[in-house]
Order: sequence, then structure tokens, then C-alpha cells
Amino acid sequence: MKRREFLKRAGVLAGSSAVTFLPGISFAAGKPVEGMTLLTANASFDPVRPEMGRLITQACKKIGWDVKLAAEDYNMGIGKVFTEKDFDMFIVRWTGRANRIDPETFTAMMHHRDGNYNKWGYNNSVVNELSDKQQVEMDPNKRRDIVLQIQKAIYDDAASSPIVYPSMTNAYREDRLSGVVPQVGEGIGSLWTDLAATVKGGDGYIRTGQTSPLKNLNPVSVTDSNEFKELRMIYDRLLQVGPDGSIRPWAATSIKSPDSTTVDITIREGMKFHDGTPVTIEDVKFTFDYYKKWKAPFFISSLEKFASNEITGKNSLRIKLTSPHAPLMINFFAQIFILPQHIWKDIPEKVNVDDVLKFANENPIGSGPFKFDYWDRGKELKVTANKDHFNAPKCAGIIRIAYGSHDAMAAAIEAGECDRTRYILKPALVQDLNKINGIVGKGYPSHGWYGFMFNHLRGPLKDPVFRTALDHVVPRDVIKAVVMSGFAEKGGSVIAPANEFWHNSNLPARPSSTKKAREVLEAGGYSWDSSGTLLYPA
Amino acid sequence: MLEYVLRRLLYMLITLFAVASILFLLFRMLPGEATLQVISPAMDEAVQQRMKAAFGLDKPVWHQYLIYLKNLVSLEWGRSFVSAQEVTAIISYRFWNTLLLMASGLCMTLTLGIGFGIVMAWKRNSPLDVAGTVIGLIFQAAPPFITGLLLLMIMSYRLGLFPTGGMYPPGERPENLIGLLLMPAFWERIVLPTITVGMYYLATPMLVMRDSMLEVLGSDYIELARAKGLKPSTVMFRHAARNALLGVVTLASIMVGFAVGGQVVVESLFSWPGMGQLMVESAASHDYPVAQGTFLMLAILVIGLNFLTDFLYSYLDPRITVSSEGIK
Repeated sequence: MKRREFLKRAGVLAGSSAVTFLPGISFAAGKPVEGMTLLTANASFDPVRPEMGRLITQACKKIGWDVKLAAEDYNMGIGKVFTEKDFDMFIVRWTGRANRIDPETFTAMMHHRDGNYNKWGYNNSVVNELSDKQQVEMDPNKRRDIVLQIQKAIYDDAASSPIVYPSMTNAYREDRLSGVVPQVGEGIGSLWTDLAATVKGGDGYIRTGQTSPLKNLNPVSVTDSNEFKELRMIYDRLLQVGPDGSIRPWAATSIKSPDSTTVDITIREGMKFHDGTPVTIEDVKFTFDYYKKWKAPFFISSLEKFASNEITGKNSLRIKLTSPHAPLMINFFAQIFILPQHIWKDIPEKVNVDDVLKFANENPIGSGPFKFDYWDRGKELKVTANKDHFNAPKCAGIIRIAYGSHDAMAAAIEAGECDRTRYILKPALVQDLNKINGIVGKGYPSHGWYGFMFNHLRGPLKDPVFRTALDHVVPRDVIKAVVMSGFAEKGGSVIAPANEFWHNSNLPARPSSTKKAREVLEAGGYSWDSSGTLLYPA
Repeated sequence: MLEYVLRRLLYMLITLFAVASILFLLFRMLPGEATLQVISPAMDEAVQQRMKAAFGLDKPVWHQYLIYLKNLVSLEWGRSFVSAQEVTAIISYRFWNTLLLMASGLCMTLTLGIGFGIVMAWKRNSPLDVAGTVIGLIFQAAPPFITGLLLLMIMSYRLGLFPTGGMYPPGERPENLIGLLLMPAFWERIVLPTITVGMYYLATPMLVMRDSMLEVLGSDYIELARAKGLKPSTVMFRHAARNALLGVVTLASIMVGFAVGGQVVVESLFSWPGMGQLMVESAASHDYPVAQGTFLMLAILVIGLNFLTDFLYSYLDPRITVSSEGIK
């Protein structure tokens, strides 16, 4: 009510200018709210998004607001949002990548004024201040308290509208595989399944299906989660994200911070690269220096925070940071791949290219739990278990097969030619497969979400009242039941419940109700003309 | 003769230059940034610039064009933005995969098409002629994904007679092409896509052959051959069919071009890693070097086959000769 009174007062103050002013917001007072466009990827890229878009645009019409749906080529849409910044609203799937377990992406990167993802002009001083604060808070529990506050501020402001938290819809042959280990955000396509699962009969290899072909095997140029998933089998990391999203020691036995700008790393003894050369602390130092020298795209922003790194013992190294940076553990140490210095010191010169990003790395040698066997571009990748690894896989190896479509992959599982999916399979197919003897098809928790995102610099979307009403308009029940075939939870906070440690459980999904949306709008001073068209506050 | 060949080669080069230039322009006119598929748009502007610089995308378009032409001439087709592999290596591998599928599909099409066309013309207006025409047209009208899906559903899922896709069993990659051809599993896997491709293209050579045959069968020399008392099969195959083949030969060269580029659906359906899939993947991911390379390869193939067809004419029809003035 205070908000309404304020609006009214502001309207009075504005007088004859016919423009209502709020701090940082101006409206054409009493005029119809201009129609807008909701952008989504087309059905060939993701069949779910245009369906969600259709339901949301229909619901917007019920509050007297005209919204058009534009289902476009994914690449074009990305260009409009991230390069041209020419959009009103869009629907996106924020995938549950392992590094996004850290709250940095969904809070600071997306909602801080200067966040890399924030191409929608969101600027809230409380969120900015708290985001900066959480980045330098090295105590996880204290950082968690700040992150809970950020979620609350984002939720209250309806800065983004999480539509649903989709499950990782996977399928596997129960009669062939045992010991699958689902991971938050990755389902049974996780590294933990690669390591722990065993295969009954046959050659012992886990035939793993995915609809997108593997693109690249260069650990320096990698940026895509598809490639991270395959490279982590071949290359070791210092840490790994565990099945529950917590950090687990891996090549490093410990990573400690004696103070907020110092990181001490100790690595495991006895590790070997696949060509028999021992893994040393020099290789780790070389890796940091090499990635920094070549400005490795995924890692450079973290590496720029390194003031120095020095070897302090046979297996230890000390990093001095320019400033404290809490996301470093998951975003950097649990992602970067240890390179063998004896191979990479001559690259790219030795392979006749002028930049390491142009190096195809067709015969990758790492120290990871699987040894590279072959990669048949467009078809399959084969890796064989490294039985000398400190966490040796129980299976004989992994064969990652690229299928032309979800239907082809489901058919291969049914025919017994594929043992499990690496990434999501269409929910309807998962339901069908689950009815077949010997096959398990189900959804696993993920911290990713489908988001209804707003351009905060345009028209009514500048107004938190309007955005809150839109959040009520989203028909989450229908989307969950029909579009997602039940494989989802309704969205509330920008950090999903699957990310238990960081999630703010006091922020449930706003009830989907046109009536409630109208009440919110009315309380904010909005009204309707005789034809039912929504009008700005007078 | 030599002068004619040289002139034709020059024309071929000019055509290829035009195709290469159009391809360069077309891919740069595509909406969206080339780097978006390779690198997250959320990364720093400096990182985006870093990626562009690595692949020369930071240079003006005219400069990129000159580099592209220079590389084409020196047969250096660049590296994929996505995988960093050499374009020539990627294409040559995928090309053979498609060629295998296309060759088997077209062999089936041409063998059955020519055979049925001859018989249908010989038995004109018979139930066989009508049935052949209708069946051929049905398969041509049905999109390959329908035929392919039906085949998969019945032959693979229901009856379990054939595998669902791929070129070889997972994890059993052969050392080379000969190793692949010696694998029984490969032949099991090529049957269904071959039938899909073969049936889709069947109507065209079949009906062309039928029409050519009907034209030839009305000729005086066929009447003469019959009057001489030759066996009907000799008249049909030795006298009529050979002369009617000319139209199918022209058609075959065009069909090869279509077949290489038109396998997208069949390759996707049967998870066959060929050129069609590569074209779609590379165009969708703005992988210019690979996309340009695949389309250029297709152009070279079609133009080269047209060139060869002209020479094949003179072999099939002694009335046609190649001289310095062209084909007479």
C-alpha cells in the first residue's frame, strides 16, 4: 500500500507532464502499457521453451497486456540478448553445470550491476553490495548468510523469474549397469557414475549416449560443459565437485587458506600421466602459468586474481591472490585440468599453429582415471580405464556415442545398444523407457532452472511491482505437469533447492494466479480501461 | 580436344571461384556472432576478442576474404573454430562416410530404376507399369525420415533384424576404410539407410528410363531389329536400353550432388557421421571454415561430375564427339 501511495504522490508531483516518476523509473502515466515480445529458442533447439512461452504470453493477455512470442534460432536469440541487448523478455535454460553449484553465477554474475551475464540492466544497490561482500568472504558459513540475503533481495524485487527447476531426465539399462551415482545437476551422466558403475557382461565398457557431438579435446580452450565432462575423465583436476555438490579432494590432498589472499596447495604423491611420466608440483605450476599466458577463456578471469604462485615444497605450492575470491574453489580449482609440462611446453610452436586455441590435441595425455583411446569426430569417443589411478574406475572404459536425435538415443537404449544417457533425454521419452523391463528412466535433482528474464531498462519491466505481477502470471502448475511431464519443481529463488547448502528455503514459488497478479498491479496503481487493456499508474 | 578440355577446366575454375565467394559472403551474412557457439557470451569482452583474434575474426571482412582466397589456392582450408582440427581432415573423413552411403543408395536406385524402367516401358500400360509408377512416386513423395523411421521401427525395433544406427558397433572402430568394409557389422548397418536413400530417389531414374525407352522403342531401327527376328530380350537390352541410357547418365551426375548434400535427414536418423550432418552442424554453429569447406566440396563434386558426364556421352553415344569446338 505504501508503494501505491508513493506512486500516487509521485503522479501528483509530476502534474501535467503526464509522466509518473519513481526513483530511476518513468512511465507514461495512465497510458496503455505497451505490448512487448517474449523471445525463446525455437522448438528444434529445445521443444520446451516455445511451449512455455506460449503459455506465458496467453497468461499475460489475461491481465490485459499484449505480449507476442518470438521463437527464433538459438544463435540469433543469444546475439539479440548478449551482443545487441535488443530484447524485451526471454526464456532461458540455466543449466546445472558443476561450477554453478557455487552461488556466484546465479547471484553476482547475473544480478550484480557489473555481472558478466547481466545484459538486462538490472541494478539494485543492495544486491550489488551483498554480491561484492560474498565474493571476498572466505568462510563458507558466513558467505552462505550473505547469499541467502541476496536471494531474498532478488526475489523481493522479482529481478528474474525462475519458471521451474527441471530434473535431469536420464535413462539407463538396469540390466546392464549397476552402481550408478547421480550428481546434482548432472544426474547419472556424472563422473561418479563413470568411476563407480560396473557393467554386466560384454566388454565392460559403458556405452554412453548424448545427442550433441563432442566438439573439442583441448583442455585450454574448453568452455562448454559437454567438453568438460569428457576431458575430466582424461585429465585430473585438483578438486572435484562431489555427487552432492560439495567439494572433494582429488589430485590435491589439501587446499588451505591461511589468510584470505593466500592459498596453499598440496598434491598427492605417486600420480602418473598416461605416458608414465610422474605428475609433479612443477606440472601444477606450469599449468597455472600456461593457462594464464595463453589467456585460457574459461579460466582467465580467475587467473587474473593470481598475484604469484611459488613452489614451496616437493608437493606443495603457494598462491598469492590480489584480493580474496571465494568462488575460486569450485570455479577454478575444481575445473582446471593438470597439463603435462613435458608435452605442453612446446605447444603451439611444435604443432605449427600460432595460438594454442587452434591446437586440436588429437591425442590427449593426462593423468586422469581414463586413458584416451580414440575420438571419431561426429560419432564416438572411447576411453579406457586407467587402473593405476588413485580412484580407478570399476568399468573397463567409456564409449561416448553421439546420436542424431533424442528419439534415436532412446531407441538405442531400448535396443540394448546404449547403456545410459550422459545428458538430458526428452521427458516424454524417459516416461516411455521407464515402462520397459530392464530400463530405468527418471528425473534427478538439478540446480539449473528455466528462467523468465526481463529487460530492466524497458517500459513496465523497470517496475518491481509489474515484475512481481508477471511472476504470478507464470502458469507453473501447467508447465510442470504438461510441458515438463512432471519432471520439474516450481521455481522460486534463483538458487534451486537441489543446491541445499546455498538455497534460501523461505522463498517458495509465487502462486500462479491471474487474480493475484491483478491485485498486485492494482495495489501498484495500475488500472484497466473499458476494453480491459492494462494502463500505467495514473 | 585438348583445347576444349582446357577451356572447360577454366570455366570450372571460374565457377568454383564464384561459388567460393558466394559461400564466404553467405556465411558472414548469417545472424549472430561466430564465437557465440564456441564461447559463452557471458564471458568478458576481452575473452571474446581473444577468441576472435585467434581465428582472424577481428580483421575486416575484406581482409578475411583475401586470406580465404589465398588459403583456397594453396589448398589450406583452415581449422575448425569448434574443434581446431584441420578442415581438410574433417571433410575427407566425413566425405568417405557419405560416399559409402550415397554409392550404395545410388547403386540401388540406378540398378532398380533402370531395370524397372526398361521393363515398365516394355510392358507399357500393364498393371506392372502402373504399379511401378505409383510405388515409385509414393516413395519419392514420402520424406526420407518417414521411410527411414518405418524401416527402423519394423526392421530394427520390432523384428530386431538390423542395428538402429551408426557405421560400426560402439567401441570397435576399424583401423581404416578397408577394415570398415571387411566388417560384417558395417554391412548390417548400411542396409536400412541404403534402402531409405535408394527408395527415395528410385522414381526419377525409373521414370526417365521408362520415357527414354518409350521414345527409343518407337524408332525405326527397333522395328528393323524386331523384323530381323531378334529375341525380344536382345532388342530390349542391346538395342533399346543402351540408347535410352543417355538421359539417366545426365541425371545420375546431378543426383550424386543432391545425394551428397541431401543426406542430412538419413544421416541424422541412422546416426551416420557424414557430410550432410557436418553441413548442418557447422552452419548451425557458425563454424565458417568447415561450413565453407563442405559446401565447396559439394560444388567441386557436382561441377566435376558434369565435366565427366560430357565425356561419358561420347562413349555411350558414338554420334557425340568431343572436339576443340566443343561437344557435337
